[in-house]
Amino acid sequence: MPAKPRVAAEAGLDALTAELVRYYRAVGHGTVPAALLEAIGQRVGRALAERYTRDKPRMVEHLDVIKWTCKELWGEVFRKQVDSLRTNHRGTFVLKDNHFRWTRSISVDPGDLGAGAAATAATAAAAADHLHLPCAIIRGALQSLGVDCAVTADPSHLPAVDFTVVIAPPPTR
Amino acid sequence: MAAPILSLVIVGHEDHPIFEVDLGSRTAEPSTRDERAQYLHQFVLHASLDAVEEQLWTTPAMHLGTVDRFNNLQVSAYVTAAHIKFLLLHDGRSDDTIRSFFRDVYECYLRVIMNPFITPTTRITSALFQSKIRGAARNYFR
Repeated sequence: MPAKPRVAAEAGLDALTAELVRYYRAVGHGTVPAALLEAIGQRVGRALAERYTRDKPRMVEHLDVIKWTCKELWGEVFRKQVDSLRTNHRGTFVLKDNHFRWTRSISVDPGDLGAGAAATAATAAAAADHLHLPCAIIRGALQSLGVDCAVTADPSHLPAVDFTVVIAPPPTR
Repeated sequence: MAAPILSLVIVGHEDHPIFEVDLGSRTAEPSTRDERAQYLHQFVLHASLDAVEEQLWTTPAMHLGTVDRFNNLQVSAYVTAAHIKFLLLHDGRSDDTIRSFFRDVYECYLRVIMNPFITPTTRITSALFQSKIRGAARNYFR
């Protein structure tokens, strides 16, 4: 029987993910061990994909899976949809989110900032740590749907974040 | 009256069987004759995986119906979007009952899969899951 959906404050999720990064930064003595965050994210992504595709028939095309990611997965996890999707039709997709919610609260100490370019570079560096988890969630979800891929994020134009999905080419015989 | 033949297998990623149960038997202790039958059922179910793989690429529907036959036994399959396969070995049941049964199994399976300690190869050993599946089988196939 369908259970009544329980809701939690988004601030709680923000605090949890920020604390994850801070904790693992301490564990790694100053640098964030990406592999740990990626393992967590992939596990979560796999489970989420199984749950959110409950009533959906199977998607045979890679493009359908990516479109589902842009709409439904993004809607559930990041509370909005992807703003633009580009592809080179050879297995690379760029998902652009103009206002990525998980990095909206990242700030850098103004005293360290110099000119405009240095400021964006510093914020981008701070944001890069926080993007391991979302990339891994996306990767886990795609892999669970049968799309073997690598996901990277580019935070150089905050608050917009570009996610690049590179689908592994099928093994040649 | 011969016991109804009814066997469910859930196959996860990379063809790992993560759950197997014989739903036809009324009691829990297998007799020697039943053990031989159980080996046969397991064999037929795993052999039908090839047929399931072929058919699942031809249609986006989740319920594939009867994918394979062996003597008087039929194998029905239901494949989720994440390519988890539910296989049911039976001796001729209505497609609609099987469809509803698979939906119930899928619901229970989703609850179990949310457990963060489960990996793609873990077998499902929860007694609650077993009892829910047996209850669903009793509802639909009695």
